[in-house]
Amino acid sequence: MKGGTHPKPAPPKWATRFLRWFCSDHLAEAVLGDLEELYERRVEKLGKRSADLLFVANVIQFLQPFAFRKRNYRSTLNQRDMFQNYFKIAWRTMSRQKMYAGITIGGFALGLATCLVIFLFIRQELSYDQQYADGDRIFRLYNEYKGPKGDRWVNIPPPVAGILRTDFPEVEKAGRLMPGSLGFGTKGLFRREDAVENNFEEGFGYADPDLLEILEIPMVYGTTSTALDKPNTIVLSKRKADQYFPNEDPRGKSIILNDDKSRLFTIGGVMKDMPANTHFQYDFLITLTGQEFWSGEQSSWCCWNYNVYVKLRSGANPLALEQKMTVLRDTHFIKYLEEQGDQSAADVKKNHLFRLQPVGDIYLKSNGIYDDMRHGDIRYIWLFGGVATFILLLACINFINLSTAKSANRAKEVGLRKTAGSVRGYLIAQFLTESVFYSLVSFAIALFMVWATLPFFNTLAGKSLTIPWLSWWFFPSLVVAMLFIGVVAGLYPSFYLSAFKPIDVLKGIVSRGSKSSGLRSAMVVFQFTTSIILIIGTLVIYRQMNYLLTTKTGFDKEQVVILYGTHTLNNQQLTFRDELLGLADVQHVSISSYLPVDGGSREGYGFWRKGREKADLPITSQKWRIDVDYISTMKMRIVEGRDFNRELASDSQAAVVNQAFVKEFGLKKPVGEQITNGPQTFTIIGVVEDFNFESMKEKIRPLSLVIEGGGNSVMTVRVKSKDMQATLGSLTKAWNKFMPHQPFRYGFLDESYARMYDDVQRMGRIFAGFATLAIIVACLGLFALSAFMVEQRSKEISIRLVLGATTQGIFRLLTQNFVKLVFVSIVIATPLAWYLMRTWLADYTYKIPITWDVFVLAGAMSIFIALSTVSYQSIRAALANPAKNLRSE
Amino acid sequence: MKGTYLGEFEELVLLAVGILFGDAYGLAIIDELEKKTGRNIMISSVHKTLVRLEEKGYLKSHMGGGTQQRGGRDKRLYTLTQGGKKALQEAKELRNAMWKEIPKVVWETVKL
Repeated sequence: MKGGTHPKPAPPKWATRFLRWFCSDHLAEAVLGDLEELYERRVEKLGKRSADLLFVANVIQFLQPFAFRKRNYRSTLNQRDMFQNYFKIAWRTMSRQKMYAGITIGGFALGLATCLVIFLFIRQELSYDQQYADGDRIFRLYNEYKGPKGDRWVNIPPPVAGILRTDFPEVEKAGRLMPGSLGFGTKGLFRREDAVENNFEEGFGYADPDLLEILEIPMVYGTTSTALDKPNTIVLSKRKADQYFPNEDPRGKSIILNDDKSRLFTIGGVMKDMPANTHFQYDFLITLTGQEFWSGEQSSWCCWNYNVYVKLRSGANPLALEQKMTVLRDTHFIKYLEEQGDQSAADVKKNHLFRLQPVGDIYLKSNGIYDDMRHGDIRYIWLFGGVATFILLLACINFINLSTAKSANRAKEVGLRKTAGSVRGYLIAQFLTESVFYSLVSFAIALFMVWATLPFFNTLAGKSLTIPWLSWWFFPSLVVAMLFIGVVAGLYPSFYLSAFKPIDVLKGIVSRGSKSSGLRSAMVVFQFTTSIILIIGTLVIYRQMNYLLTTKTGFDKEQVVILYGTHTLNNQQLTFRDELLGLADVQHVSISSYLPVDGGSREGYGFWRKGREKADLPITSQKWRIDVDYISTMKMRIVEGRDFNRELASDSQAAVVNQAFVKEFGLKKPVGEQITNGPQTFTIIGVVEDFNFESMKEKIRPLSLVIEGGGNSVMTVRVKSKDMQATLGSLTKAWNKFMPHQPFRYGFLDESYARMYDDVQRMGRIFAGFATLAIIVACLGLFALSAFMVEQRSKEISIRLVLGATTQGIFRLLTQNFVKLVFVSIVIATPLAWYLMRTWLADYTYKIPITWDVFVLAGAMSIFIALSTVSYQSIRAALANPAKNLRSE
Repeated sequence: MKGTYLGEFEELVLLAVGILFGDAYGLAIIDELEKKTGRNIMISSVHKTLVRLEEKGYLKSHMGGGTQQRGGRDKRLYTLTQGGKKALQEAKELRNAMWKEIPKVVWETVKL
């Protein structure tokens, strides 16, 4: 620019570039010149903005055929014929080398199938709770307790929802869910008023009328606003309504729960079945209107049993609401604590917060927030996605390795094509076409594989995935993915192959595939490193799983039958127990629903040592209502003191605590100490060995066992049985004698125990599957590479044999390189795997140490696998008749 | 007849190129035409016409004469070819011939 200190205004760059792009070169320069001259005039007259606009308008005016760039001569050639030829050649190459093609395609298909399954899995996981129209305004309340005893949980005292509704204008609706920790739990007996037989049903919960509206639950009969607004109403899911009231609108009909004829429930509406991808899974919602679980329960801050959902008014800021809820805490909760003389008020004021979790986050992002729901884990999504990508990468590497290794076979073709006038661009296009072709075939096979194995995966992962054949996006995205993967895998080989100089090729100078063998080795190392890491991961996960399942149980979980729903026996309970004790195989019977496994009742309280209530902070402990036979039935080990004694009346005020309890309270001599939770005081008479009653991920928490009524819905029966079927038969007979109209429901303690670790087991199995797939893909590649190498060196081997080389010598010669590569992989994989597994194990309080033998085992396995893969070809070469190979020369 | 036929706008552009002898490029032609006709001329239509006239062989062009006012870009300068001159000539003659055939009477009524 001439002497200008500030830059001259210039027209928008993108418009200039756009014009240059579409306009023929002949015209572009002159037109741009004219436009810019015009622009300068306009800037002076109209200002920059208008000038810019007019400039763009002018550029657009030039979008006319006369100005367009003329296509260059290349594309005027007949493309179709060329592509036809590419496909023909690709097909011929494939059919000439069936093994290599098979391995490439097979590996590709495996990788793709894995990716597809994982994609479906991830899509399903991410689709949870996305169905709400106002999803961004729906939140779940949870508690956060900061500080060293940090904790996050979702249980909220009863009055909170009401306070939110009335005192907080930004809350449009607030509704509570009581997921079955009071009342009769999530399972119960159900029958129509006019029916005799009780049916066992699961999926009960109590809900405020508002909850249906907040969670936008679609209704078949009735409306969300009225279905639960009267006391003793219940809503059913569609499938349950169809089961009990087929082909009719059941509104207004009465039903009986748990055989309790004194209290009828009226059906207020029918909900559509909950979709699989929502955290909120209920078949029966009983209204909380007019419901009080004990006198004064609804207004008290003592007991935290509710989940609270809120819907904010549009535009309300959830963060601001969280801030405002500290006032709620101070005016109600702190006040309650102070009235009780509870010393924790100050600590609560400092550390406790009510917080909001978006409804869409509940399923995947609740890590560390304690609730009773089944969750996914966002970290697993990353992990699985990563692993799937790696497996696909391994398959791509096979393709790259094989096509560069086999380049010698194609070199002549390249040379000839170039001599006949082909330019490099054409050859790249050709090889890319070829790889896309491979990718196409692989995709077809992969789709078939997924279709065939999806049911299997579903049982493995506990999911219900389907292939969305009919979704509009499915096939288009498959095509895009196919092209993409074809191009990615083909990029390097196509550049590599198309670079051959015709003169060298036709002279025969191009060394047969030896070039870039370094790269090939690197890729093999990469493949095996991945595989070894997966093997180590699988081993560690399996060991951890075993550890969790076999240690720290603290009770004997074998040969214990759990009978559910025994509270319906009412006053016949003890008679029934005695009847059971009379059976041949039955050793002990205990009545208590506070099982030491998943699904048992739980009750937490703040405890103090007697006399220190006003001085100390409470320590949270479980209080389980058991009976005298509980400890002997479970075969828990008493480490100090004694078990409960039926003969001693004073034992109704006694407690047996666990070791964690003793430790937490710092009791030197626990037996004889008195503890209190406020209203109740107990004397410790014994200490049981610690056992896990929550997930093993967490530390064992304090526990006290007391003899107290209630919690009688479950009986546990310790049997000593060689023939479990017969034992169960006699149990069933006894039950039917007492309760002819009720299903006999039972389970096994060890199964319930194992269910606590379902997710670990699932992880283990899925990981094992991944590791296997990765190894298969890597081995396919290795197999093909070794075959290629043997083929290439066949003359050399023959001459060596003729000159007296031993079979072992040849074998060593052919395998040692590969074994070296695997060793390098082991060295790389070991620290990586160690780090990864340490991170994974960090989640668990009780974990195995990662010992060296895992690495040795994984290393040995990988060497063994690699060696056996390679040896087939090597042994064949070493045993071959040398004359055959040399005859033709 | 295609090839020799001149549209009205084409003729105007050819004339402008003639007038601007030696400095006939897109924008100058527009200026000239706007000045003479008082019409609002689209720059794309001028270029479109120039391209067509060059294809027909009435114009030839070369690049040159860039100035600072146009971002240093060269102009595409157009000059009339023999064919172009001849086409203009023919157009003019055609008009003249037709003019002469209009009876005087017509003009007289107009004067009224």
